[in-house]
Amino acid sequence: MSQGDLLHVVTEDDISDSRRMFGHGIVWASALLLAGIAIAQYAQVSGYADFGFQTWRPTLYAYILWSVCLCWSKVLIYGEHGKRVLFVLPAALFVVSLTVFPLLFGLIIAFSNWNLASPLGRQFNGLDNVRQMWADPFYWNALLNMVWYTLAIFVEYAIAFGLALLLNADIKARKFFRVAFLLPLMLSPVAVSWMIGKSMLEIRFGPIARLARWLGWETPSFFGSPEIARLIIMMLDAWTFIPFMMIMILAGLQAIPKDLTEAARVDGAGPWKTFWEIVFPLMLPVSITAVMIRIIFKLKLADIVINLTAGGPGGATDTVTSFIFREYRDRSNVGYGTMLAMFYLVLIVIFMTILMKLADRFSRPRT
Amino acid sequence: MKVGLYDQLMRRGATRRDVLKGAASMAALSAASAAGLGALAGPAMADEALRAQILQIPGVGAGSPTDADWQKVGELCLGATKASVKEGEFAGIELTFMGLNNQNLHNFLFRGFLKPWETYTGAKISWIDLAQADYNARLQQSIATGTVDFDILEMGAPFEGDTASKGLLDEMPDWVKTQVDMDDLVEYLKPPVGTWDGKTYRVTVDGDCHTLSFRKDYLTDSAISGATGMTTMPKTWQQMDEFSKKIKGQKDPLTGLPAFGFLDPLKGWGGFGFYFLEDRASAYAKHPSDPAWLFDPDTMKPRVNNPAWVQAIQDVMDLIAAGAYPADQINADPGTTAFQQFLAGTGAGLCWWGDVGSMARTSNTSVVGDVVEFSINPGSDRVYNSKTGEWETPEGGNFAPNMAFLGWGVYVTKRAAGDENKRKAAWSAAAHLGGKDLSLWTSAYPSGFQPYRKSHFNFDEWEKAGYDRAYIEDYLGSNADSYNHPNAAIEPRIPGIFQYYSVAEDELAKGYAGQYKSAQETADAIAAAWEKITDQIGRDSQIKLYKASLGMS
Amino acid sequence: MTIQAVHDNEADSAGRAWRFGTKTTIYLLLILWAIICLFPIYWTITTSFKMAPAVMKGALIPWIDYDPAWLGWRSLGLSPETITASSTVRDEFMKRFMNSVIVSVVSSALAVMLGSLAAYGLSRFSYRFGFMKNSDILFFFLSQLILPPVVLALPFLLLYRELALLDTRIGLILLYTLSVLPIVIWIMRDQFSSIPSDLEEAALMDGLSIWGAFFRVILPIALPGMVAAFILSLVLTWNEYFFASLLTSTNANTLPVMVASQTGSQGIAWWSMAALSLAAILPLIVIGIGLERYLIKGMTAGAVK
Repeated sequence: MSQGDLLHVVTEDDISDSRRMFGHGIVWASALLLAGIAIAQYAQVSGYADFGFQTWRPTLYAYILWSVCLCWSKVLIYGEHGKRVLFVLPAALFVVSLTVFPLLFGLIIAFSNWNLASPLGRQFNGLDNVRQMWADPFYWNALLNMVWYTLAIFVEYAIAFGLALLLNADIKARKFFRVAFLLPLMLSPVAVSWMIGKSMLEIRFGPIARLARWLGWETPSFFGSPEIARLIIMMLDAWTFIPFMMIMILAGLQAIPKDLTEAARVDGAGPWKTFWEIVFPLMLPVSITAVMIRIIFKLKLADIVINLTAGGPGGATDTVTSFIFREYRDRSNVGYGTMLAMFYLVLIVIFMTILMKLADRFSRPRT
Repeated sequence: MKVGLYDQLMRRGATRRDVLKGAASMAALSAASAAGLGALAGPAMADEALRAQILQIPGVGAGSPTDADWQKVGELCLGATKASVKEGEFAGIELTFMGLNNQNLHNFLFRGFLKPWETYTGAKISWIDLAQADYNARLQQSIATGTVDFDILEMGAPFEGDTASKGLLDEMPDWVKTQVDMDDLVEYLKPPVGTWDGKTYRVTVDGDCHTLSFRKDYLTDSAISGATGMTTMPKTWQQMDEFSKKIKGQKDPLTGLPAFGFLDPLKGWGGFGFYFLEDRASAYAKHPSDPAWLFDPDTMKPRVNNPAWVQAIQDVMDLIAAGAYPADQINADPGTTAFQQFLAGTGAGLCWWGDVGSMARTSNTSVVGDVVEFSINPGSDRVYNSKTGEWETPEGGNFAPNMAFLGWGVYVTKRAAGDENKRKAAWSAAAHLGGKDLSLWTSAYPSGFQPYRKSHFNFDEWEKAGYDRAYIEDYLGSNADSYNHPNAAIEPRIPGIFQYYSVAEDELAKGYAGQYKSAQETADAIAAAWEKITDQIGRDSQIKLYKASLGMS
Repeated sequence: MTIQAVHDNEADSAGRAWRFGTKTTIYLLLILWAIICLFPIYWTITTSFKMAPAVMKGALIPWIDYDPAWLGWRSLGLSPETITASSTVRDEFMKRFMNSVIVSVVSSALAVMLGSLAAYGLSRFSYRFGFMKNSDILFFFLSQLILPPVVLALPFLLLYRELALLDTRIGLILLYTLSVLPIVIWIMRDQFSSIPSDLEEAALMDGLSIWGAFFRVILPIALPGMVAAFILSLVLTWNEYFFASLLTSTNANTLPVMVASQTGSQGIAWWSMAALSLAAILPLIVIGIGLERYLIKGMTAGAVK
């Protein structure tokens, strides 16, 4: 990866020393202010002094002020070069402030014994939560389920690819089909779990149950056995997210120059051969991106499970998120639940890093 | 009806219906004796016309009431408010109300009822709607994070341990006590329910117990009774389970679909799902000589893994193994079981709160209105005595109706108490909802609430409203019998009680799905989780509160 | 000659049959999948006009299987005869609906703004923040995507309580912006990479500043991509349930929370549920139909590297 600017900006900035001083000055002054207010508020919370603060809002405002000063100072100090930083800095500050603090908070909670109803409040309990996690078969079961759910992405991908090919074919009413195929993506998972999961899959009057009976399945049962229940969750989730992969692949297909496929046809290659030798390799980078993003979304799967099965029967459909959700909500085990979440985060960061490296290596030589 | 009077009548061998027929005259008697206080007789007479009028909105058989009906009822029942509050007195006051969001019930009704109240008093109410399954979690979260952001709270008595004990509630002013006529409450809802440390906090809007609803036509249909060999309603769980197993393969006489026996909701429900196991277990575990049945009162050691509870779990597991439940029962929300299955004609019986009774006749969804009858929860041939560790077989079996949840009430939080005017507004709203006339309407129509006042058991009013006399005696009778049962299983009002329940239903779900090897192992898992909660909350204080809630200290 | 012609004809008709067969298969598959996609929406619409007996029958076609009724919509105060009267249920619904609109639109707009800037910067200049180079910064942004919501749930609850942001729309907007920012950056970076940098260089020559060049030259070209990013953000934020249920109670409640809280001790009124679900998904359906081409266009640039 080249580290030079793609866009060369030639600037002749005359930045006076006093301007530079002023730049440094506002950063430090606002930082001091922030520190001062934060310390004062902390002192009040710990009971050393009373400044009459109601909430931590003043610290928040001071932080915002500091951020603005930091951005401004870049321009003051570096001139035109500094303005380039302004593209990235606001987003970076925003993300850092909204993730770093909560994550730190989360780490503290993760090593505590905290039952919401306990009059004692939060209590540090060292590695107890880790030990408990290690011996919790239902958490490991939920992790295993995530593997199954993730593997289902390959089927989703195949279907999405097929649909994209169909839409890319020479067909009439293409706009209609495109919109129709896209709509499931727009629907809220909560509404989907209700109207499809609970209404259409209802055993007596649901249209899918009646279809199943008509097809010869005498006593349809969609959530009775673990395997079928998991399959149903997979299908519902696939239904909402196939369009997402589909548009990405479709967009890729439309970007393939027509003459390439034309040339292949002139060379006498059948559609099958054209697909495998020209289209598919060209689509590989898009496919990898699509699958990666899909994996990321899949790892967060929860809404449908929470609303539809609550993890049942017996944890067969549990995802890690829905499991932690119940640990937190039904058992008020806040500390333990947060530990599980943190562990999950570590796992998927490792997993995704490996996956990205692999994908990088896999897709590069071909392009 | 006073338990003493009830006992006396029962000893004389009166049947339940006789008792109830007598109830009206007895109510009149006690009213007369209370006339010195001027509380009951006078207003009751004057209100008779009003009560008859609201019971005609929209009328039994006219389908489910709508928003317009609720507003009309709220308007008509505003009399007590008008007496204590000047028009526009609360102008500019904003209140937040947290309650249950059941489609067309609870908060939906409250909004309609309080709309005329808001117009009259000038106060404004904003709403926090919670799904039943989220209720406990949200409440716990508010308590733990100190974010009590509501002034009025719809809450069940079991949560009093979580809220009143922590000083979050405002004590009820005396004028409210008079306005809602607390004397009229059925006995088991009188203090200590609704109080904590001797202070009263609760405007009761509901009374709760589980009763058995059963399909009469399953007993008269020749094919079914031929298969089951039963022509009377099963009285014990042993009979009930036998019925459920034998009915397999029969057709429902109403719908023609496969017939099923007793419906156990098997899925969790934010803690509320545990009540259905309690229905079974109380018959085995609630010994008449011992008020405790969930925990050992001296040590808080869970009893949930004793032979009685294990038997109850085993019964359900046997029925699952025998295929005695409809397909997907394991994933059916409890609400589905009652209202999409039972009321829509699937299943012979279930234990539920009393509102199934009023819904069966007044709801759009119900098809079983004419063929359902009611009774107290089934009992058991044998009962486990925790003190001796032995099973006993009392003559006539052991019955222990489950007073599940003790009813919803409306409470005012400390948040509203800072400002005297706001406090009055909050209590006035609460008292409006707990009003004597309004509550008659809520117990007669789909509302999510069931009868909880002595004055609700006046059958003439129900009959005039369009209910069939025999039906209403049966339905209300099963409620009254449960409320007044000497061996009723009363729920402890201890902190975290719903945590115990939610953990239990989570473990039960695993057990029912075969994730544990046996009923015993499932029960042991629940017991272990309960021990942990007790330790987290504090064992000594739990023991003290548990004993107090059972009246043992 | 004739033989030749006949032979040609045969090959032709065989080819035509083959092509006809393929075409038919393609259309059959298209129609099948269209049914799979559209039937649930149809089911929701028809259910919202059903009454209890029709629901219990599983009736399919209005006017033939059952008589449509306004029951479901009446329970929202949105049926013809209730729409003019004052209705407590409609007020509640409208409140949540407006919350959803405000929260999703503002957070998506914010995310597109912040994200486009960052993506442009990352595609044009090389940065060094401490040890982090461009690729690391990009990874840092994109890695936010894999943060599972449960990790942040409780910390955010505590943080927001301290900042008095619980149950405020601002609080939700901040969180939603954070959660869709990675997607925006990912789409927009590919958009900007596909725009040759000669364009700005020419603009810079003309005396525009970097920011001037960005706004006057680049933005108009990247607009389809921004619309695509905006739609995707809108879909994700409009439908978000987990945080909304956790962090809001009265004032900032959104529609998914309202839909999910319809389950109660009395079973489900399917007609109301369907009406509510439909009202919750309708705006996005309209947007999907109206702006669908931008979505594909925006993704196209992302697809080709």
